[in-house]
Amino acid sequence: MIRLDDIHVTFNPGTPLETRALRGVSLRVPKGQFLTVIGSNGAGKSTALNVIAGLCRPAQGTVTVGGQEMTHWPVHRRARVLSRVFQDPKMGTCEDLTILENFALAHARTRPRGLRFAVGGGMRADAAERLSGLGLGLENRLDDKVGLLSGGQRQAVSLLMAVTGKTEVLLLDEHTAALDPKTAEFVLDLTRRLVADLGLTAVMVTHSMAQALHTGARTVMFHRGRIVFDAEGAARDALGVADLLDLFRREQGEELADDSLLLG
Amino acid sequence: MSLYQLFGSLETGFIFGIVALGAYLTFKILDFPDLTVEGSFPLGAAVAATLIVGAGLNPWVATLAGGLAGFCAGFVTAWLNVRFRILHILAGILVAISLYSLNLRIMGGPNKPLLNVETVFTAFEGFGVKSYIINPIVLGVFALAVKLALDLLLATGFGMAMRAAGANPAMAEANGVNVGRMKLIGVGIANFLTAIAGALFAQIFGAADAYMGIGVIIVGLASVIVGMSVLPSRTIMLATAACIGGAILYRLAVAAALNADFIGLQASDVQLVTAVLVAVALIVQQSGGRVLRAAKRGGRGNDPA
Repeated sequence: MIRLDDIHVTFNPGTPLETRALRGVSLRVPKGQFLTVIGSNGAGKSTALNVIAGLCRPAQGTVTVGGQEMTHWPVHRRARVLSRVFQDPKMGTCEDLTILENFALAHARTRPRGLRFAVGGGMRADAAERLSGLGLGLENRLDDKVGLLSGGQRQAVSLLMAVTGKTEVLLLDEHTAALDPKTAEFVLDLTRRLVADLGLTAVMVTHSMAQALHTGARTVMFHRGRIVFDAEGAARDALGVADLLDLFRREQGEELADDSLLLG
Repeated sequence: MSLYQLFGSLETGFIFGIVALGAYLTFKILDFPDLTVEGSFPLGAAVAATLIVGAGLNPWVATLAGGLAGFCAGFVTAWLNVRFRILHILAGILVAISLYSLNLRIMGGPNKPLLNVETVFTAFEGFGVKSYIINPIVLGVFALAVKLALDLLLATGFGMAMRAAGANPAMAEANGVNVGRMKLIGVGIANFLTAIAGALFAQIFGAADAYMGIGVIIVGLASVIVGMSVLPSRTIMLATAACIGGAILYRLAVAAALNADFIGLQASDVQLVTAVLVAVALIVQQSGGRVLRAAKRGGRGNDPA
């Protein structure tokens, strides 16, 4: 479903700040797979996600989603095929619009936008039904501006918005990192449920090794712009965070310097 | 203030209400401070006046043509910003400056009198009502129609996309909105409205003038700021009403300031009065906003994010 072929990304090429963020990354995510991506700061995991989403253009290599090569597509065009949830809860929703209007906006992601009323048909009932599944009472606040919701509520709404319409690919960029542990667990559970129920192909970038191993069906680890580790099935099930660290040391012959990977 | 002055304030108030609706679209909806209007206001006037006087065109068609010319001007500004990443304010100034020359070309001189020709207001003469009473009514209906049209547009799927493009571009793009295109069309529409207002202004006051655009941006912005700080503006429909209300309030305030003989102001001081009014309104809004934000922060202390 998602295919990255030999992707190279260099930030600030030709300057003293030159950073080679991705050095020949190739990755295939089959249809219906839930992949988790882990790595320390600057490993390239978020860059890889941004390459898929179109926020970052690779210097070399191709991006293919659903059989369509889209290396040079702008972000808004890719939105018809893939949807995203951001790390910052403020980013995924539009705070000046009501909950219902946000849903209307997301609803139109995979369809042409016309001069018909944005909020129409059974949209109100549909949004209320989806929201009631959260158990947060948001179905009664459809006409409230999203800016009035808490970060966790906004992230849950973002997630529901991301899976409206004919979504097949879901990209999650550390979408629980800005939430408190309890809310993060709630949003993560919701993510697992939605991805499973809708049979989505999903890529989740995370800082937490435990989260990466206990979510989805496959985990890859980025280090210095390359994929250094890739596990799924029984091999992955047998892994704990400690094993992952051992493995990492052996592969790289160096200690993991980033505490956030251990603490997450 | 005499009744005549009151109706005069309503007349110009409604015209600048249309300008204010355009300013609302750019400044508030699209978050695109657009200075093109300084040029597109006289552009609409110049095109309409030249077509009416020179080509003998129907005044309604000429007014619409003026509006379309304004759309093009706004489109160019947004294009400079979207395509070449020129700062929006600078792009607007560049287009406004170039329009100054263009307007002189269009009119073949610094102004174009509209005396003894048919205007859009000619059709409403002869109802036995004095023109200083009927004209504000006609303009009021017109401004209201523009307001309702804008309300409807912003409630469509297209309008929702435009609102998101201004409020949260990254989120809009992730939801398939072509943010660049929204700016092109939105700034175009705002200048279409401004140019229509310019064309109407010329027809009411009997001439198009190359200098009539000076300060239009501030008047439009003043109307939006005054309106939204005095009147309720929670929803789009209320906010657009507040824009027109703000334009009238602003006109009345200026008239009152110039009328108060004891201050010693004269007509030529109008720009100074405007600038002071806008500055005061902005300062009040700022400090008011600070109080509101502090209150909100206090109320959301348990927010997990």
